[in-house]
Formats: sequence, structure tokens, C-alpha cells
Amino acid sequence: MKSLLRPLLAATLALALASGAFAAAASSKLIVAFLPKSKGNAYFISCKAGAEKAAKELGVELLFDGPTDSNAAKQNEIVENWITLGVDVIAVAAENREGISTALRKAQKQGIKVVTYDADAMPDARSFFVNQATPEGIGQALMDEAARLLNGEGEFSMIVATLTAANQREWQKHIEARLKEKYPKMKLVAVRPCDDLKDKAQSEATAMMSANPNLKLIMAICSPGVPGAAEAVKQAGKTGQVKVIGLGLPNENKRYVHEGVTDTVILWNTGDLGYLTIYAGVALAKGELKPGAKSFKAGSLGTFAIQGDNILLGKPFAFNKGNIDQFNF
Amino acid sequence: MLLLYVLIAEWLFFYFAGTTTNRRGIVVGFGTLDRQFDILRHSCEIGLLALALTPVIITAGIDLSVASLLGLCAILFGKFWHDAGMPIPLAAALALGCGALGGALNAALITTLRLPPLIVTLGTYSLFRGLAEAITRGSATYTNFPESFLFLGQERWLGLPTQAWLFFAVAAGVWVLVHRMTFGRSFRAIGFAPDGARYAGLPVNRRVALAYILAGLIAALAAIIYTARLGQAKADAGMGYELFAITAVVLGGTSIFGGTGSVHGTLLGVAAIAVLKNGLASLPVVMRMNAAEEMAGLLTGALLLLALTAGVLPRLWAQRRPPPAAPAIASSTPPSPA
Amino acid sequence: MSRHFRELSVVGALAVVLIAMALFAPAFFQPQPLLSLATREAPTLVVACGMAVVIICRQIDISVGSMFSVVSVCAGLLAARGWPLLLVLPVAAALGAALGALNGLLVAGLRLPSIVVTLATMVALRQGLNLVRQGEFVNMPDAVQWFGLPQATGQWLLVGSALALLVGLGLALRHLAAGRFVYAVGTEAEAARLAGIRPQRVTFAVFVFIGALTGLAAMMNIVQSPQVQPLSGMGLELKVIAAVVVGGVAISGGRGNLWGAFAGLLLLACVAPALTHLRIEAYWEKAIQGAIILLAVVADGVRQRKQN
Repeated sequence: MKSLLRPLLAATLALALASGAFAAAASSKLIVAFLPKSKGNAYFISCKAGAEKAAKELGVELLFDGPTDSNAAKQNEIVENWITLGVDVIAVAAENREGISTALRKAQKQGIKVVTYDADAMPDARSFFVNQATPEGIGQALMDEAARLLNGEGEFSMIVATLTAANQREWQKHIEARLKEKYPKMKLVAVRPCDDLKDKAQSEATAMMSANPNLKLIMAICSPGVPGAAEAVKQAGKTGQVKVIGLGLPNENKRYVHEGVTDTVILWNTGDLGYLTIYAGVALAKGELKPGAKSFKAGSLGTFAIQGDNILLGKPFAFNKGNIDQFNF
Repeated sequence: MLLLYVLIAEWLFFYFAGTTTNRRGIVVGFGTLDRQFDILRHSCEIGLLALALTPVIITAGIDLSVASLLGLCAILFGKFWHDAGMPIPLAAALALGCGALGGALNAALITTLRLPPLIVTLGTYSLFRGLAEAITRGSATYTNFPESFLFLGQERWLGLPTQAWLFFAVAAGVWVLVHRMTFGRSFRAIGFAPDGARYAGLPVNRRVALAYILAGLIAALAAIIYTARLGQAKADAGMGYELFAITAVVLGGTSIFGGTGSVHGTLLGVAAIAVLKNGLASLPVVMRMNAAEEMAGLLTGALLLLALTAGVLPRLWAQRRPPPAAPAIASSTPPSPA
Repeated sequence: MSRHFRELSVVGALAVVLIAMALFAPAFFQPQPLLSLATREAPTLVVACGMAVVIICRQIDISVGSMFSVVSVCAGLLAARGWPLLLVLPVAAALGAALGALNGLLVAGLRLPSIVVTLATMVALRQGLNLVRQGEFVNMPDAVQWFGLPQATGQWLLVGSALALLVGLGLALRHLAAGRFVYAVGTEAEAARLAGIRPQRVTFAVFVFIGALTGLAAMMNIVQSPQVQPLSGMGLELKVIAAVVVGGVAISGGRGNLWGAFAGLLLLACVAPALTHLRIEAYWEKAIQGAIILLAVVADGVRQRKQN
């Protein structure tokens, strides 16, 4: 065993020194770390595309890492790893508001600039929040769209990602609040989780339709849920009879929108969200963006308004048959 | 012992390859003391679960439900404190009690009904997590714990992350139990040959039950530490940790068939996985690939297979070769100069 | 009667659920949604058949979910490149079989415990897939869905072939020598060896077998919709193991059959739609599934105790 040990160690050291030299040579650029809620999610992949474009334009190095599933504990670990790595900017979509904030405060103490996007952390744990649309705005947009399609009356149901995801609960809460406040003739008959699986969303939607013969609309508030529900409606032969709307990406839903199964997909321009986030983070690190600013110019996207410490991306966007082909993300 | 060398090599590799000086002239990365403490902090819960599993696996059992029980206990702890208004220590004590109860449920089904542990704990794996979701209706998250409690999970005490002290204490306790008390010997005997142990007069059922109840208790402790580290109790706490814990135990040389195994091996296994995971994340090359977690998963799987293979190859080799009894063979190969 | 008591009790439980549904939620029995649900479960049934055989052989394979994802994505990519489905199908099965052979080599060749080996391959395959695909959907041409047939035909074809596979395998397991070998090895490998069976070969074969079936199942899954999500198949292993065990296949090997596994799968598959129909909130789903598994094994335990 001893005889094996020595060459093993020698080889390790040689390898380590070689890659160490490589590492040191490459760290002269500003490093921006970009943390999604979950890495495999198409939503964040499309955010990343915008972030990469911004990083290229600005000449900074972009790190993109996150949990493979939405997991608050792993987010903290990744942020702490970045702190010890000494990145310059951390941009975070927080899975858990309080949980991530301890790690972000630590980062700020070390002189790292922190911005949040998509889902905010505690206000004292970051400088700016790039706000794509408030949970309230999303909830209202979805509920209003559902009401518009159903003329304000009828049964509808919801598909959510998991029963524990914080953002889903938040949206659901605002959807239900809007329902109570404005649409007394509409009724939410079922809420089922799909575990972020398209196949499961399809099964759930099928069961929903047979359990509720008067169902008029399915609202999916997680991106795999929308094509899943649409496929179920299509297979049930209820196209047009049961409408599908939801939060999702144009590319995953194009074919269903064109077939008339899915009426509306609501989302902001995710690429722009990533782009704007990186621009804000870098400007912050270079001292070009300071607390109290009223507006902010982000490269080719132009100027954005700042409200307090929220940089506003704009209103959520409704994709439908008429415009969905103009978008590719 | 091979694992110790692997761990040292792994650590040295990341120490040199994962440590750099950044533009501000500060040394950053794997080699910093802060990073090492972070690794320790992040390993405590999985480490505790691995410790909990070691005696269980030595008795030739398995407990897939530990991580789900962690989730359930975290929720109960939050509920006792937040909804029932109990002081933190009482809530923690009750949560520990619930953990032990959960373990006792496993133990009762396994020992009194002689059911296979794999399938019993597969059932409780769903049941415990399901109860956690049902209790909170998926949504309730308990936060705003007092600073004094968060100290346990987020600060340092006597130079080390606070929870590490608890982790070491439990490790020492389990080590003594397995290696310095008759319990440990009976665990091995049961794992090696349960009927033999029974005929030898060992109270097999009680010993096995002890292993599962202890596992439940430690899982509950991990739940409290987890809650303190993240500052939140939620139904998805610790999801998927059981796989890493089992991997650590097996890497550490404990046979999944029972009968042999050691607590220090498990600790090495936990360290090997933690160093691999965190070390990879600090390698600039891997960071640019944005794939630290996937690489770590891939390599952990590979490491596990390698460790297993390395463990059985000598035995297989010995079986394949003809017995070295024939003198003709011995004389035909001249002894090589040492 | 007593020989098939276990299977019959699952069928009984299933009947109770179905009667309850008939009384309280007759809408469950509309043919079209039921066919859709059955189609969704057809791939699961195919994997469950494989799992039953593996467990009867006193092994376990928890990497099926990851294999399912890997094969789904690979087959999806091939289909998206315009490969004819008739060609993709054998490739998918072969890929599954190859992955299963890896498990089989490690378990049978090196005599490693199957639970640990497949745990390792499960993690490695899943993370490898994440590494390569980063979660991206695969979009396929329209002609892939239902093999280009009308929807109802496609659905019947899938359900029919899954059932045909079930019946064929169920009979083969009972009446063919190879099937009896599996029981022999699962009951007592040493005795099987002395009887002239090579236990390691049988073990290797069952892993290749479940791999091939998983590949087929993945194929049956991707033709159901025009997109493949790389996450599809996540958690499949627990679902099929639970179904098989609830259906009376003993985890200690050598006992059980595919009919029981089929009934177990139907019972578990009914839980989620039943909750929706009975308007019970979804939060209870996991707890109920856990309780069903425990109930099934407790019933096993109590019965065995009485026999001894």
C-alpha cells in the first residue's frame, strides 16, 4: 500500500499545481456569479442566455451555478462557496427569503456586491432587486386573464410545481385573493402538484377534467405544467372546451398555442431579466450605480425605472397566437 | 485505509488546485480556513445521518426513512415552537422524542413482524415526508427563530462551527457504542448471522430496535441543526440526504450485508464526499463548466463503485486462482529478490 | 385460495377503492379519461414487470428512473434528428439493455450488493444527464406522437402492448424454464447452483432484462407527447418498487408474481386520481401512499407469523 501511496500523491500534486497555475492566470476579469433557483429549469436557462449576452458585452466572467432541484440549503452552500472564491458580484434568485439572506449578508461584509432577481431576499441583504413583476402582479395577471377567457364565471383548477415551493405558494395566494375580491362567479375546484414533471402534470390534468365535468380552464403556474396540461386537454379532445393558461416559456408552448389548446402563456422576457441583472450587478461593482438612483441604463435594452431599491423590468407579457412566434426562448 | 489515502490525496489536490489569489490580493478558495469550516458546517447533517445509519447497516439493516424523518422533525420542531409557543429547548426535546418515536415505528415493524427493513423504511420514507407535507399543508414555513437558536447553526463557538461540536459529540458517542461496548459486538453478530446471535442468547430484537430508535433520535438532532443553519423549518428539509448518507457509510467500508463496519470509516466517508463536492465547486475549471454539483454526483457514484470493486477484487482474485498447494508450481517460479 | 391470498387481497383492496369511486365519484369511470390514465401508466407497468422479476431474483434495481430518463432523452434526440421510429425502438431497448448490463456485470460479475451498485449508477446517470442536457426539453416532430397514428389507436396500441407484455412475461415466468430459474435463484442461490443453474448468469440476465424493458418503457413514454423532459422518470424507481411490493412480491426473493404486481400498480395508480375525484387535498397523497405500502408489508408479516 505504501508503495502505491507515493506515486499517487506525486501525481496528485503535479496535477494540482498545473491546474492551479491555469487558475491564477485567468482571474483578471471581474467575476459575476449568477444563481438560479434551479439550474435545469428552462426558465432560468433562458435567463442565463440573457446574462451571458450581457457578460460578453461587458467583458466580465460569468459563473452560473445552482441546485439541480429547487433547494434552499444548496443555494446557501453555493453562495458561501462563491464568497470564499472571492467573486465580485453575486446575483441571486432566492428560493428562501430568510435562509439565503444570512449568506448574502456575509457576502456583503466581504465587499461583494449583491443583487437579487426573480425572487427577492431580505432588503438589507442586497443592494438592488431586479423586479420582473411582483407576485401580486403575476397573480392578478393570471387571474384576470382566466376571467377574461371565461367571461367571469365557471370552474377552474390549478397545477402547481410542488406543495412546498415558496414562490408557488405566493402566487397561489395572490391568485386566490384576486378571485375572492373580483370574480365571485368563478370557482377554484382543485389544486394539484406536478413535481415539476410534465408527465405528471398531464396525468393530474386528465384526472381534473374527468372529476370536474364543468371545468372550463386549467391554470398551470409552473413551466412544465403548461405543456403537460395542454397535452392532456388535447388528448381528451376538449380543445377549446377546457382552456389552458399558465406561466411558461414560449418555446415549450408554441405548438399548443398554435393548435388552439393553450390560449395564453404569461411571462416577462426572461432573457432581458438576466441581461438587466448582470448590467445592474456590474454597474454596482464599478460604482456606476448607487443606492438612491432613479433610473438605470442597461446596454442595448435602454433605460429602466428604479423604484426605491427595485429596478423594474416592466409588466408581465402575454404570449398568444398572434405574437408567440416572435420570441425564441 | 485506502479511503484515508484517497481523502488525503483529494484534499491536497484541491488545496493546491482550488486555492487562488484574487484580484484584490486575497487568498480565496478551497485552501482557506473559512472554506474548511464551511465544509464542516455543511457536512454536519449528512454526517449525522451517516452516523445514524452505521449501526443500522452493521446489523444488516437499512433505513431509507432518515431524511424524511429529518423533514418531519424539523416541521414538528417549528410547530412546537411557533404554534404551541413552547420555549426552544422544550420544543427541541419534544422533536427529539418524536424522532425516537419515528425510529421506534420502524423498529417495531422490523423486529416484531420480522419484515425486511428495506421495504418498511421505504414505506416510512413516504409516510414521514407525507406527514410533514400534510401537517404544513405544504406551505407553512417556520422562520424568525431567535438569534440565540440560530447561533447553533450559523456562528462559531470555540473556533469551530457550533454544530460541529454536537456532531463530534454524537460521533464520539456512536463510536463508543459500536467499538467499545458490547452493543457494538452484538450489532456485528446480528449482522453476520442473526439466527446464530439469537441462539447465542443475544436479545436480537432489542438490539436491532435500539439501532433504529437511535437512528431516529439522531435524525431529529440533524433536523434541529438543519433548521438552525437555514433559519427555516420546511417540509422539504433534507430531501435526498439519505442517498449521500448511505453512500458515505458504504464508502467508509461498512458492508451493506452487515456484520462489519466502523464509525471512523463512516466519518472518513463523509469527509471524502464533502471534500469532493466542495473541492470540485472551487476548481476554476469546473466553475467555468457550471457543473459542480453534477460532477460531484457523477464522481461520488464512480467513487462508490470503485470502492466497492476495490473491496471485492482481492477476494475474487483469490477464488479464481488455483490453490497454491502444488509444489511443482512453487518451484517453477524462482523467488524474486525482495 | 390460500396460495393466492396475497394477490387476491390486493385485488380486494382495489375493488373496494373502485366501488367507493363508483359510489362517490362515478365520473371516474368515463372511458376516455380512463384510457388516457391507463396510457400514462403503461410505461410504468412495463418497468414494474421488470422490477418484479428482479425482486423475485432477490435483487433490486433503483437506477430504473435514471435509466428511463437517459433513454428517453437519447431516443428523443434520435427521433428529433428524423430517425424512423422503427429504428429508434430497438436502439432504445438496446441502450437500456446496455445500461442494465453494466449493473448486471457489477452485481453478478463482481458479486456486489445490487442496492448499492444501482444507487451509484442511479446518481451517476442522473447527474451525467444533467451535466450534458442542463434540463433542456427535447422537441420532436409531430409524426412521433402516437407513431403517427390517430390518438385513440395509439393509446390502445400502447396499453395493449403493455398488457400483452404483462401476460406474456407472466406466463413465461411461470411456465418457461428460464422463469423458474429466476424463482430458484431468488429462493436459494446455492441450491439453484447445485441443481445445475448458474445463479450469476441468471442475475446478470435479469438486470439486462429490466434495462431492456426500461428502454422500451421510455420509448412508450416519448411517443405520448411531442416533447421529452429530461426529468421524466424521476422517482419512477420508488413507484414501481412500491407497486411490486404491495402486489405481494417478497423483497426477500423467490415469491410473488406479475399479476400481483399489476394489481399493486393499479391500486397505487388510483390514489392520485381518486384524491382528485373525492376532492381530498393533495397534501395527503404521499402519506397515503406510504401507509398503503406499510399496510401491505404488515399484512405480509402478520400472515407469515401465523404460518410459523
